[in-house]
Formats: sequence, structure tokens, C-alpha cells
Amino acid sequence: MELTMQFKENILSDHKGPKQTYFSPYADNGGSIVAIAGEDYAVIASDTRLSAGFSIYTREQSKLYKLSQKSVLGCAGCWCDILTFTRLLEARMKMYENEHHKQMSTPAIAQLVTTMLYYKRFFPYYISNVLAGIDEEGRGCVYSYDPIGHCEKVQYRTGGSSSALLQPLLDNQIGLKNIQDATPVSIVKDRAIAIIKDVFISAAERDIYTGDGIVMHVITKDGITEEKFPLRTD
Amino acid sequence: MALVEVCGVTPNFLDKSIYEEKCVAEQLLELDKKFFSYHTKISLPPFSDPVEKLKTIAVDEHGRGIKIHYDKGTTTLAFKYQGGVVVAVDSRATGGQYVGSQTVKKIIEINDNLLGTMAGGAADCVYWERVLSERCRIYELRNRERISVAAASKLLSNILYNYKGMGLYMGPGLYYVDSEGNRFPGDRFSVGSGSTYAYGVIDRDFDYSMTDEEAY
Amino acid sequence: MASAVVPQLPVGGFSFENCKRNAFLASKKFPLPNAKKTGTTIVGITYKDGIILGADTRATEDTIVSDKNCSKIHYLAPNMYCCGAGTAADTEMTTKLISSQLELHRLNTGRVVPVCTNYSIAARDPEPMLEEGKVLVRDAIAAGILNDLGSGSNVDLCVITKDGAQHIRPLENIGIRGEKQGSYRYKKGTTAVLKANIIPLDVTDTLIKPVEAEPMDTSG
Repeated sequence: MELTMQFKENILSDHKGPKQTYFSPYADNGGSIVAIAGEDYAVIASDTRLSAGFSIYTREQSKLYKLSQKSVLGCAGCWCDILTFTRLLEARMKMYENEHHKQMSTPAIAQLVTTMLYYKRFFPYYISNVLAGIDEEGRGCVYSYDPIGHCEKVQYRTGGSSSALLQPLLDNQIGLKNIQDATPVSIVKDRAIAIIKDVFISAAERDIYTGDGIVMHVITKDGITEEKFPLRTD
Repeated sequence: MALVEVCGVTPNFLDKSIYEEKCVAEQLLELDKKFFSYHTKISLPPFSDPVEKLKTIAVDEHGRGIKIHYDKGTTTLAFKYQGGVVVAVDSRATGGQYVGSQTVKKIIEINDNLLGTMAGGAADCVYWERVLSERCRIYELRNRERISVAAASKLLSNILYNYKGMGLYMGPGLYYVDSEGNRFPGDRFSVGSGSTYAYGVIDRDFDYSMTDEEAY
Repeated sequence: MASAVVPQLPVGGFSFENCKRNAFLASKKFPLPNAKKTGTTIVGITYKDGIILGADTRATEDTIVSDKNCSKIHYLAPNMYCCGAGTAADTEMTTKLISSQLELHRLNTGRVVPVCTNYSIAARDPEPMLEEGKVLVRDAIAAGILNDLGSGSNVDLCVITKDGAQHIRPLENIGIRGEKQGSYRYKKGTTAVLKANIIPLDVTDTLIKPVEAEPMDTSG
């Protein structure tokens, strides 16, 4: 008898009244993006680690999305938002194609991304986007976004968990910031690829959300080539 | 419950407060039908007070805070003088404490003789001034005359008033239009985080009859 | 003598005088900077002749790696080592404190202090041999390094037997840095010189004074 009473009490003590649970739609799944635009090419790369908290979900998840033969979107941040956003983006691009009977150009996609991000102004996607591609004249271009769709056309940009670590390095190496008497030169494709590999190596050293591998897409007028490189896995 | 059906979301998705403040939300929905049945309209938040609500849900399942930093922060400045109008801005965008970009174009060409400057949320300004430029073009096509600056600023002010209280954050110049829907005409304006310093300089040196060179 | 300007050093323990102020600052949205944490993998096993301890070497501040090769196996006494997980400063200071207490205890009693607590976490039956045990500890730490984002870099090992301790650091590098493609050395003159100020000094007199080593005062 006493035992049952105690058992009852134990159960009751677990349900002391209404409990409030919070709705948490956001998560930070890490990942970094780097993109560089050149004269007649654009390179964009992401790491392949998908993680949350202190654990790794997968070591081989590219965060690059081939949108057309001329443009690639890199997304890092909340993975569920990335999935939704890229799915909707693909649908909108298909609608454009059917309506206009042509593929969307990279600048047109850039504007579409802005509008789609801003549409969710009051409940934003938690994504940092970088769009790379070649425009109608065949020049490389990179567009970077904030979470609610402020867009800027740039020559080089980083995004995602280690963007604040990597951007200064690119500022110095490509933007030639803080270098006395620097003569601006256009970056050749091989150098851009080498710099991207090196910045990712540095990011994997210090950012726990960046690592495992790099996926790199090189976009030229002939199409997109894909390359993969390993990074440290700890 | 009707609201839930209209929105097409499951009740679990919405928090409790929305039921309590159903009236508010339904009013919002009414507004939505009335004013925004237009392709530039944006998604309304699934809760009644987005600014406060977003703060409470910005935590992931591990309890770490999710910080969504928007590009913002500015010193912009505009004034009239006898030769016309001068608009000047800086070019930095900050996200949190991080300088997101040093090369932002904060003067937005609405059309050939209308300029807007942006201060505050960069995306807010760019988006709504783009909408404004579209409306202005439609006005031109419909009425076969250029839209006046006063009318254009009124348009923007009206759009923004609809979203009042949802955390829009902006203030373009000369007709001062802010995110609450306020609108004042004036000779000179300076907006943004550095505006107090800019006002200091301009109040000292301003003279309506100055020449072009002086204005720069 | 203590004065208002230079207060006397406290006798020991912690100072709590800033707690209230810091709590107030935190409430005004000036939070304290994050303490360095060793989100850690540590392991200890017993083997036939003694103990094997193992640890990784990463220290983190939130999501940034602040130390790629920190030591997490702390010395307590010649026959005792301790692995620490948690706030780096806390583990460091606590083990130092215990270490000095143990030394005092040894001097007071004049014998080796026995380890009273049982260190074995993964005691196996039958107990492994040295090499076998080392491999086991290494594999356990490596698993932590590879799969936990708070652990990383190298495996450290410490083998304690009745003859003494052997601290192997590092035993193995698990996270290996990638090979750089380009060179990032800067030419001389890369950094702009904004202002130069040269102070000329005239040597008028040179005096060399030899200092004799004083014997330590041991009379007191």
C-alpha cells in the first residue's frame, strides 16, 4: 500500500502543472562558403561538414547548388531553411524558364534571391548566401546576401560560420588591402583556386564547424567543373 | 481557428499567443487583403509581435543563441540649395560588430530625377525603394508626366505605414520618410547612426545660396 | 604595511568583490568574455603494471579553437597525474593546488602519498598488457577527436607505473594541417609607415659595474 502511494507521488511530482516548451525553428548547422570572380570565370567553394552543437551530422554534404549552366549558389546556416529555400528557388527559376523560354541569367537570379529572401522579412531564413556565376557578357560575378536579402555585387566574398575569419585574408590577398604601393592585377583562375584551398585550410584550423572536405565549382563559358579536396577531420 | 485554415498551417506550428490575440492577427490579415494584394507584398509573420517573438525563438535545440545580423548602420545626408539637391552617404554596412562590407552603394536611383538614400536595415531600404521606383514608373506611364518628389515620398510613406510596428528599419532622405510612416519635408536632413555628427557640420556651414563647389 | 592605495594581499582563496558589478554589467548587456573551455575527450584505464591516461589537445572558446595543442594531463605527484575537462583555467589551478597540497603532505609524513581514489574508468578483465592498453587508449581518444567538435588535434598519453610516470606528448597527430598552395610572405615595405620619430642618443660616458652574487640569507 505504502509502495503504491509512493509510486503515485513520484508520478505526480513529475507532472507538477503546465510546462512551457518553446518552438525553436532555427538551428546553426555551420559550414563556410568562399567565392571569387575573375575576368572570364567564377570559382565558388564550400566545406562538406554538416554539424550541430558539438556533433557532426555528416562529413560529405556539399553546400553548393548548381542553379544553371552559368550560376552556382552557396548556402550555409540553418539546414532546413537551406533545403526549403533552394527548393523554392528552383521552382521559381523553372517558372521563369517556362514563361520566358530562356534560362535565367546570373544577375536575374541575383535579384530573384533578394526578393525571395525579403519575402520572409519578418520571419527570416537563417542562411548566408553567396551566388557566383558568369553574366551575359561572360564576365565572372559574385553576389553576397545578408539573411533578409540585402544584395551586393562583389569581386570576392566569404559566407557562413568562418566568414569573419576568412574575409580579411581575401581582403588582403585579392583586395590588396593594407599593402603599400600594391598594383592591382586580375587574378588568374589557378591562383584563385589555390587561394580558396588555402583559406579553407586556415578555417579548418580554427573554426570547429568547418572541415572534412572542400567542394569547388569552377564556372566558365564552357560550363561548370567540379573538384573535391580533403580537409582535416577533427 | 479560421485564421489557421486561411494560413494553411497546422496549429502546432503557431504558438499559443496567436490564439489569444486572434483579433489582432485577423486584423493584420484584413490589412493583408486590403493593401498588399500586389506582387510586391511580403509574407506576414505567423505571430503578432515579430520583433519580440523572434527574440524568444532565436535559440537552437542546444540552447545556443542564433544571431541573425542584418546589414545596417549609416551616415547619410541631403540638402537643398539654389543649384539643386546634394545627397551624400558613406559606404559601410555592418552586421552586428562585424563590418560586412565597405563598398555598399547607399544612394538608390529611383528614377532619373529621384534619389533615395538608405539608413538602417539595408535590405529594407533597397527592397522598398525598388518597389517605389516601380510605382513611380507606373505613375509616369499612367499620367504621362513625371511624378513629383512629394508624391513619391508620399507613396513610400504609405507603403511603410502598412508594415508599421513590425520592425522595418529605414529612413531615406530629403523628404524624411521613416519606418513608422512619418514624413516631413525640409531643407536638409541627415539620417543614421552618424547623423548627429553630420548635423553638427551642416548646421554650421549651411547656406541656401551657396555655389556648387561649396555644396560639395 | 597595508594602505588604502596598496591593499594588503588577501590570505588566500578567491576574491568575490567584482561579482556584483559583473552581474550588473551582464544585465546591461555587457556580458563577460567567454572562458576558455576544453570541450574534451579524456580516458583512463588500468593495465597489468599500472595506469594509462589519455587526452586530446584542443581548447575552444565557443566555436573557435583557441589552442590547438594544450596539455590536459596535469601533474599531481610523481605517482599521480590527472586529466582535466571543463574550463581550462579551473582545471589548471585546481590541479596545481592539489599538487602543492600533496607535496606538503609528502614532506609532513615523509612517505609517498597513496592514490586513494580509483582511477580506472574502463577497467577490463583480464587487464591488458602495456602495448595493448596504449592502443586501446589511443583508439578511444582518436574516436573523440574525430567525432566530437570540441575535441581535436593530438593524442597525449601518460603511463604511470610503480617506478614513476612517463608523459608522452604527443603520442600521435590526428588532425593534420593541410598543405598550403601558395606563399604568403610579404615583401619588405608592405606595411605603410605613417610616422617616424628618431631620437638620437649621444653616449657621453660608459660605466661597467660588476655585481657580486650575494649568498642567500638562511639564518632566519
